[in-house]
Amino acid sequence: MAEILALVEHRQGSLRDVTFELMSCGRKLAENLDTRLTAVLLGHNTGEFADDLKTQAHRILVLDDERFKDFNSESYQQALSQVIKSENPVITLIGHTAFGMSLCPALGAQLDIPSSTDCLDIEMNDGGLKVIRQMYEGKLDARVRFRESPSYLVTIRTGCFPAEDGNLQAEIVSSDLKAAEPQHLKFIEYLEAAVGDVDITKADVVVGVGRGIKEKENMAMVEEFAGMIGGVVACTRPIVDAEWLPKDRQVGSSGKTVKPKLYIALGISGAFQHTAGMKGSDTIIAVNKDPDAPIFGEADYGIVDDLFKVLPALRDKITELKQ
Amino acid sequence: MNIVVCIKRVPQTADAQVRVDSSGKDIEKERLTFDLNESDAYALEQAVLFKEQSGGTITAVSVGHPDTEDTLRMVLAKGADTAIRIKAEDFDELDGYKTAQILKTVIEKAEFDMIFTGCMATDDGYYQVGVNLAQLLGIPHATLVSSIEIGDGAARIKRELEGGLLEHDEISLPALFSVQTGINVPRYASLIAIRKAAKKEIAAVGQDDIDKDALVLNTQIEELFVPPVTKRAEIFSGTPEEVSGKLADMLNEKGLI
Amino acid sequence: MNKKKNIADQINPEIRDALLEMGADGIYRCYQCGKCAGTCPWFPVGTYDFPIFRLPLEAALGMIASSEDKDELAAEIDKIYRCVGCEACVDQCPHGINIPSIFRAGRRLLVDFGSYPEILKSTVRKIHDVGNPVGEPREKRSDWARDLNVPVFEPGMEFLYFSCCISSYDPRVKSVARAVAGILQKAGISFGILQSEESCCGEAIRRIGSETVYEEVAKANTSAFERNSVAKVLVNSPHCYTSFKNDYPELGVKFDVLHISEHLSDLIESGAIKPDKEFAKKVVYHDPCALGRQNDIYEAPRNVLRSIPGLELLEVENFNHGLSVCCGAGSGGLWMEWDKDERIAGVRVTQLIDTGADVIAVACPYCLQMLEETAKSMGHDIPVMDIAEILAESCL
Repeated sequence: MAEILALVEHRQGSLRDVTFELMSCGRKLAENLDTRLTAVLLGHNTGEFADDLKTQAHRILVLDDERFKDFNSESYQQALSQVIKSENPVITLIGHTAFGMSLCPALGAQLDIPSSTDCLDIEMNDGGLKVIRQMYEGKLDARVRFRESPSYLVTIRTGCFPAEDGNLQAEIVSSDLKAAEPQHLKFIEYLEAAVGDVDITKADVVVGVGRGIKEKENMAMVEEFAGMIGGVVACTRPIVDAEWLPKDRQVGSSGKTVKPKLYIALGISGAFQHTAGMKGSDTIIAVNKDPDAPIFGEADYGIVDDLFKVLPALRDKITELKQ
Repeated sequence: MNIVVCIKRVPQTADAQVRVDSSGKDIEKERLTFDLNESDAYALEQAVLFKEQSGGTITAVSVGHPDTEDTLRMVLAKGADTAIRIKAEDFDELDGYKTAQILKTVIEKAEFDMIFTGCMATDDGYYQVGVNLAQLLGIPHATLVSSIEIGDGAARIKRELEGGLLEHDEISLPALFSVQTGINVPRYASLIAIRKAAKKEIAAVGQDDIDKDALVLNTQIEELFVPPVTKRAEIFSGTPEEVSGKLADMLNEKGLI
Repeated sequence: MNKKKNIADQINPEIRDALLEMGADGIYRCYQCGKCAGTCPWFPVGTYDFPIFRLPLEAALGMIASSEDKDELAAEIDKIYRCVGCEACVDQCPHGINIPSIFRAGRRLLVDFGSYPEILKSTVRKIHDVGNPVGEPREKRSDWARDLNVPVFEPGMEFLYFSCCISSYDPRVKSVARAVAGILQKAGISFGILQSEESCCGEAIRRIGSETVYEEVAKANTSAFERNSVAKVLVNSPHCYTSFKNDYPELGVKFDVLHISEHLSDLIESGAIKPDKEFAKKVVYHDPCALGRQNDIYEAPRNVLRSIPGLELLEVENFNHGLSVCCGAGSGGLWMEWDKDERIAGVRVTQLIDTGADVIAVACPYCLQMLEETAKSMGHDIPVMDIAEILAESCL
């Protein structure tokens, strides 16, 4: 059986968590298919990365070039397409991240390899490749079947395959493939979003608000509540889009990841894009009118009711307790 | 600047009850409201902003069923100059890649400097069509774009990465940009624009114009189902006062307040 | 309105004609005397300039929502959605021009193209999807009555009690429906409810401009009424009342509609209900626009309150009956996101509290929600109650 490839993702000199999740996924697949997992590492001076990944894969294929230091979808695509052509993997795994979203569909179209993005689970047997994906804003799951092909490309949603310690001894192989100078796309720099006076990643208590807050002026009530319990207010993307809170308060895949002792989700439905950034919190409480809201699948405790009825009552109870 | 905007008409499911239909592969659509896909509204607005800045035309394209014309008409009222509906009913089952192949056959005939798409469709959530399309057209692309400045033959863009970090890139034109929500504030349509749009022709393209047999379908939905519950919150029930009491006590016991 | 351009260039007969076609009434009769603006509930708000006296002329020139500038256009459309349809201006206009009908005509054109505020889009969507503006499942519509033994309507029953979406679903306002059912049961009235067969009456979304979804729910209701041979409908919301009485006849259906205040007043007069427990409070009554000004029901709710022992009925001096000031919840206002200091309800709450009342009484679920929430947000803890709730305290 042909091998499984998994792309190593790193940024600003660090391996990203998703890399280890891909390796977990890849090892599982390799075991089931009785084949090997190869980690593909594009980077520059990557010795340390290779060391960290040593137990995670059967083989680490290293493409070392200064042009691979920072992600560039054009040069990564160019190199990875050659790797796929020469290695003929049965499946290439890429993280469903800002990098993967740019890379995977382009490779699929370039190489005429069927690709599917944002997969939660993946199974491969005689019937071919099938994946589980979410649809309709997380309300339904779909089992998706691929057309028959010798090779597939899949991006895996973060958080679906927990990172695990590996027990492999990877053979480290240097590839002599060199990066071509990108013609169309030039990486300039990484920019940190402006940091305001509140750092939500450092708070012990975070009160998250979503669309259920309805009106900008209701934010005052939430701010007051958060202040009362020594917390800070964070939010989902639509709240930032509406400019009710600055970008540095956004929790989720395109915002910050928070791991407070207590996270209270108010009027948040629980789309993956948000929960990706808060599910590591110690205790999660959700208040939402919709009993079917996906947030109740992440929360430890839930209240199914109107947050505008619950919040004032909760405020009163806590005031009582504090006295 | 001639700009192509790709749009999709999707069911608005965020607040709705979504049910699997009898085929097991699709949803019941009768009781759902359909509208322009959220990030596509931002893609359109970005195109209109550039047109206001430097002239040119905007062509809106959608692969959709006949009622997509309503959505395309709204897009015309909000600033597109022409609209093309590619008849989804002519092409059997679709996935992201097949949609991109169809779009390519139509868009490659147009003159364009930029293509805008939304970063994802809220119905199938693939994040795929835009990038597939750019690759098929042989032009560079950028995804999750949250800012664009057009220069001479190139654009400076910012992309949203995880953790609130931005990636600043330069990209040569023509290029495709798949934009994030929040990149701008989508506009209303004026009554004058609405009246004009109501009278505009929407071009229709179908199987007579596109070689159906050359299209490849990569993926098919085998089954739709309600996500299995893996973990479930302990739900406090009662009046707001009662549940607040229980919750406050629990928080107090755990020393969280 | 774009002031940078010559007005002659902006005149657009086509838009004028479209507005006329959509039911804009009386646009040529206006001579801009300004009485409408003087009586408009936005006038006393003070922080928002809403010169509605210009609207008929703007409509006659086809100069509505026509700015080419994005921000100016947004402000114009915001303006079109400021009208709460209270019709105070209609009463005052020496030429009987219906200004809300002009706003509604503009809204219809905008809604068809999805060019209206997102928050209202979501309201319209919920009514289309699940038949109520709250977004709750249909099956839960009769949850308010779960432990009350309220029967399902059957042919032969005297009344269908149609409980309005807000009083069916809202955790606070539910108690109005519960009070109504309790009183009717005590008086031995033959009535039932239609449970999940009921849809929103559609009054608000028709005024928001969504004729399509209005027709959808109106037809769902009328066919449910016909299916169940409903002849008399009892409502506690003046919005359902005005919709059933004044809008539904266009659909060619025949049924009688009675507001709960009328029926309760009759039941008290006939002795079927005897309010005997004291309600020793000063109660000020707020006339809902859709009940009073729009349907001339002023005395029935007052009769109900007067019949309650110990209750002292107060009026807002100068601003009662036809001159009552709107709470701001009509025609979509209930869902709009206006700044706190830009709220019509704030003006009304102040007027009501200044009477020295202990309780504000209303006969409308919209007014109840709007006045209660606004009073709270202004730091007042005065109870706001529906007349049915007060009567229930006295007679149950």
